[in-house]
Amino acid sequence: MVENRPWLNVLTHLVLILGVAIVAFPVYIAFIASTQAPNTFLRGVMPLLPGDHMVANYTEMLTTGMSTSGAPPLGLMLANSTLMAVIITVGKIVISITSAFAIVYFRFPLRTLAFWLIFVTLMLPVEVRIIPTFAVVANLGLLNSYAGLTLPLIASATATFLFRQFFLTVPDELMEAARVDGAGAMKFFRDILLPLSRTNIGALSVILFIYGWVQYLWPLLVTTDSRYYTIVMGIKRMATRADSEPQWQLVMAAVILAMLPPVLVVILMQRLFVKGLVETEK
Amino acid sequence: MATIQLSSVKKVYAGNVTAIHNLDLDIKDGELVVLVGPSGCGKSTLLRMIAGLETITDGTVSIDGKVVNQKEPAERDIAMVFQNYALYPHMTVRGNLEYGLKNRGTPRDEIDSRVAEAARILEIDALLERKPRQLSGGQRQRVAMGRAIVRKPKAFLFDEPLSNLDAKLRGQMRIEIKRLQRNLGTTSVYVTHDQLEAMTLADRLVVMNAGRIEQVGEAMALYDRPETLFVAGFIGSPPMNLVDIAYLREKGRVPELPAATDLVGFRPDTIRLTPLAEPHLTLAATVELYEPVGGETHLHLRLEGSGQLIVAAVPARTAAPEGSMVPLYVASADLHPFNSQTGKRTD
Repeated sequence: MVENRPWLNVLTHLVLILGVAIVAFPVYIAFIASTQAPNTFLRGVMPLLPGDHMVANYTEMLTTGMSTSGAPPLGLMLANSTLMAVIITVGKIVISITSAFAIVYFRFPLRTLAFWLIFVTLMLPVEVRIIPTFAVVANLGLLNSYAGLTLPLIASATATFLFRQFFLTVPDELMEAARVDGAGAMKFFRDILLPLSRTNIGALSVILFIYGWVQYLWPLLVTTDSRYYTIVMGIKRMATRADSEPQWQLVMAAVILAMLPPVLVVILMQRLFVKGLVETEK
Repeated sequence: MATIQLSSVKKVYAGNVTAIHNLDLDIKDGELVVLVGPSGCGKSTLLRMIAGLETITDGTVSIDGKVVNQKEPAERDIAMVFQNYALYPHMTVRGNLEYGLKNRGTPRDEIDSRVAEAARILEIDALLERKPRQLSGGQRQRVAMGRAIVRKPKAFLFDEPLSNLDAKLRGQMRIEIKRLQRNLGTTSVYVTHDQLEAMTLADRLVVMNAGRIEQVGEAMALYDRPETLFVAGFIGSPPMNLVDIAYLREKGRVPELPAATDLVGFRPDTIRLTPLAEPHLTLAATVELYEPVGGETHLHLRLEGSGQLIVAAVPARTAAPEGSMVPLYVASADLHPFNSQTGKRTD
């Protein structure tokens, strides 16, 4: 659209600004709340301008945490979340790229069936199969462990499917040329396919890291030991307190801190992420 | 350097589709053999079977006297040039050239000297540090050839390597391939569907149709004496004219031809518009289209009576206005007798 009509420009900008405002306003409120004094919220009115307790609130969150809420210090929860998100990301990519490789490049019995079985699990997210999955994890004695936190989330039909689609676009001649050049299957995978998938892996890492980071229900179920609490479920614990008003200024500081790692990942990986999504030239 | 023997080679795909029927072919050391035929005739399948990229259903493929049916492509010591070049997109030109040598565990200094030599021969020295996507079609083609020659393989296999290039570049690269193959003296098998490319390149030409060999021989031998109707129609451009013998008999005296003959072929360039001294055939036709192509002119003619369309290639600027009736003379020696039932030559 290269039309040049002033009122259209105004309209499009209005729509964009409105969209940004809708997305950004809650985040702004969270930030404002995290800078207020403890008694501000008792008045029942939400201020729209920053208060003067920002340094105090963040320092308190980062050092002592909210010990009264039964949650561990923030640092530990952030570390748990990071570890969980990274294990899920790496695990998902390793599993899905190798299974996609097997499905696309090897002729084995029931190959199509294997692919469709993987594909069907797309219809069964964790929430649907949560009780049987919990039973399995519990019977394996994996409650309150990083393995229990991550393993059930690692199998990924989406990533397998994406890598499969990408591998299908790689010309067969490339594999044949590699065979003539004396590269076996695994060598072809390592020398040709992996470098070609670099941008796809980058884009997927961002998505999967965030997927791992925002997990709420599963960590809530499998962890009872506060050493394994993740930040997203920890925040919820901070907000619900018996016998007293929640300390919103501290909760919101935790929220802002919890948002930083995924934001950082997106910003750092942005170039690769966009390239992975739009690049067509192989 | 090697010989390649195919004996009763057969390829049957899943679903009982036979792509190659009991085919025999001997390729001599240092020879450039071109497999030519229409799409789907099995020429690429045959090449891929030699390369080891397709399994062999029956029969044997031997390279240098050793049966290689069960060997991986890399163990056959052949190099292949693909139609879309199949360069590794994430490697530099140097990386592409080196990859096969590295996999073989060739020592570093030997790799360097071979890459340098190949780059010099193909004049791609300046491109060694570039990625394939920064190269033009012709340059990619050279790199693909380079990847084949650095290996110093027993044989080169070319799978329609020029079909992605524009016409002018194709002509240039054709000459270069021919020169390169002559200088290196490496046994080569070249697949193409372009009969001009096939004729100009081949030491020997193998015309294939529907999974069978129609005829094998030097290009001019096939042109001068096609053994089957298929070869007659496939080799030569414009293709040979084929006229029913009954029509010729009706129109005049026909020279003595074998009894089984029912179709008579003659090349467009053997048709004359002026009477001949030697024994000949005389026909008449209407000029339907006058097509100057430069050095000669193609006349699209409609035969008097039957209305069949034939083509004559006559010298440029021949006076034959569209719509006029012209007499045609073809020397008896230039006639090719065929039988349409067997599809074979009758003399």
